[in-house]
Amino acid sequence: MNGWARFHSDLLEQSPLILMGLSKTLQLTAIISLSGLIFGIVIFYASLSRNNALRCVINGYISFFIGMPLIVLLFLLYYGLPQWGIKLSPFQVAVFSFTLNVAAYNAAYLTSAYNGLDHAEMEAARAQGFSPRQIFKLITLPQVMRLSVPALTNQVIGNLKDSSVAFLIQYTEFFARIQELAATNFQFFKAYLLAAIVYLALVSLIVIAARLIEKRLVIPGFTS
Amino acid sequence: MSFLDIVIQLGRGLGYTLLVTLCCSVTGVLVGLIIACIRRIGFYWLRPLLDAYAYVFRGIPVLVLLFIVYFGFPSIGLKVTPLLAMVLSLGLISAAYLSEVFRGALNSVDADEILAAEAMGLSRLQVFNCIELPQMLRFSLPGMINEFTTVLKYSPFAYTVGIPEITKQAMTLSAATLHGVEIYFAVGVLYFLIFRILLFAVQLIEKRYRIPGLVLKQRSNI
Amino acid sequence: MPVIEVRDLVKKFGEQIILNGVNLDIYEGDLKVVMGSSGSGKSTLLRCLNRLEEPSGGRIVFRGENIMGADVDVRALRQSIGFVFQQFALYRHLSVLENVTLALRKLKKLSAAEAKHKALAELERLNMASHAGKYPSQLSGGQKQRVAIARALAMDPAVVFFDEPTSALDPLMTREVADMMNRLHDEGVTMLCVTHDLKLAGQISDKVVFLDKGIVRAEASIATLSQNHDDERIRAFFAREADY
Ligand SMILES: Nc1ncnc2c1ncn2[C@@H]1O[C@H](COP(=O)(O)OP(=O)(O)OP(=O)(O)O)[C@@H](O)[C@H]1O
Ligand SMILES: [Mg+2]
Repeated sequence: MNGWARFHSDLLEQSPLILMGLSKTLQLTAIISLSGLIFGIVIFYASLSRNNALRCVINGYISFFIGMPLIVLLFLLYYGLPQWGIKLSPFQVAVFSFTLNVAAYNAAYLTSAYNGLDHAEMEAARAQGFSPRQIFKLITLPQVMRLSVPALTNQVIGNLKDSSVAFLIQYTEFFARIQELAATNFQFFKAYLLAAIVYLALVSLIVIAARLIEKRLVIPGFTS
Repeated sequence: MSFLDIVIQLGRGLGYTLLVTLCCSVTGVLVGLIIACIRRIGFYWLRPLLDAYAYVFRGIPVLVLLFIVYFGFPSIGLKVTPLLAMVLSLGLISAAYLSEVFRGALNSVDADEILAAEAMGLSRLQVFNCIELPQMLRFSLPGMINEFTTVLKYSPFAYTVGIPEITKQAMTLSAATLHGVEIYFAVGVLYFLIFRILLFAVQLIEKRYRIPGLVLKQRSNI
Repeated sequence: MPVIEVRDLVKKFGEQIILNGVNLDIYEGDLKVVMGSSGSGKSTLLRCLNRLEEPSGGRIVFRGENIMGADVDVRALRQSIGFVFQQFALYRHLSVLENVTLALRKLKKLSAAEAKHKALAELERLNMASHAGKYPSQLSGGQKQRVAIARALAMDPAVVFFDEPTSALDPLMTREVADMMNRLHDEGVTMLCVTHDLKLAGQISDKVVFLDKGIVRAEASIATLSQNHDDERIRAFFAREADY
């Protein structure tokens, strides 16, 4: 059997596993994108607090996670914690680590959008009698989120790509399944190329979706 | 294994981490600059190709590209060393991002200044070297810092192709000492310190070359 | 009983004393004008009156109630005071209509339909109903101001504050702003306007309060103030402003 035929037949044979892996990749991406966004908003909200100590902690958190590789956290939780008798599944470790990491980035994007806002509007809301929480919910957050749409959607793309790291902690997502495919017939180049094409196609889908969202959210004169 | 042994072993990994980060960053800046320059100076027929490069290399996970280069290339008859594999994956991916950073920075250079320089009789290349490049490099600093940080954070992938950098040393130590939590935590702090030191160094350089009034409101997420 | 009664109001920023015992009464239906040069503390005075700034001393009575204490419901207070800012501060992510309905819905708890009805009526009153669907960036300065006024009036406030209503507009607009304020005055809206625009002051009020060095220096007609007043600071102010 020549190389291509062999690759084809193996691919066909393993396609259920690969597809399952793909769905795990998408699942992980969706979950961490959502949890990272929600937690990122919480972090951002806390960073606006008047409490200096809290603000310091938040800034430290954001800075630390932006400066530290995700893989270290994954390994700490996956290989380190069991030595303390705490065993988490690869999925749990991935969701937890990614959420902390992605939230730090999202909070940083929101903060930088916030710094460019016109604070007179928040003042006006205060003068109208809105509570700080209402101002955050009705004025600050909608404005900041709109301005951050490009950065936030880029983060989703990053999440999809970075989810491939989860195979290093034995999470059987798409790339892990591709490894298995490659290992059965030693056609590494073809297998990895296939993976690259699939990731590229998924990224393109997210890019298109992001464009649509941006277009829908557009408000005249409201840009960063 | 004593504490000192642990520090020494992590220190050995540190050299490799810095080497990988440096090689990939330098590649990223050089290739990114070349792409941005080509785009700026002309060669219109090359543009679709450059666009495709930027799009593809920003759409593929670092790990996947690394595996294509390191494990895939031999099966089509190309053998690459681990460090070269890192450069050809992480380095070229960061070049794709940086070319966009440089392009954005070039677009922010005041068009009137270019016109004025051309009117003085400078050639296109002279204008580029004397007016556009110096301004552009200053404008792109925040984006470059972001990218260097990203490269540092992806440098642990080097262990998957056999480079004994910090994370690899940590794995060995963790298995040997059964103090994985402490060791990985220490490694996380170590990376953070490298990041802060690099940031500090870049800021020093930036200060040295800062020109009053020549600032661009650009986002850095740090 | 005045709507707002200010007694010996003091405001300090650190060591700096901005207001040093201001006395002021605003009665229902008044269109009260406070004048003073730039930096004399006019904005600070307005911001103290609805507790956007914490006054450092003195007494403010709003509709018979002392509003100085820590136990005062400041948010309820602010809801009954309209505030038209110098730069208008419309919410940029909301349409004109939404700018006006927001507080009606979220603070007054009106239904969407009721809020819209009320908002459109206010916009109509200021001749802006036809712009209801636009966004702030699509309006001229004068239009933005009228939306800001509609936004304030929609809450049926006891008094509306204007901070320098002409400063962000073309000088040629002064007449229009004055006409609008006079019309609102005729309709019975109680207003407090701070400005250093002599023209505006002259067109909307025959008696102005002159604020300087943290106190009310005089309360008199523009004519009296401008004609060689015996207070040297007032003479200086009018000499300067007349140059415009
Ligand atoms: N938050 C603050 N902290 C410290 N000083 C302040 C603050 N707000 C205002 N000031 C000072 O108080 C003084 C009065 O300011 P204010 O804005 O009330 O003046 P104004 O009469 O409204 O001037 P303008 O006509 O320019 O609007 C100024 O000297 C200003 O520097
Ligand atoms: Mg003012």
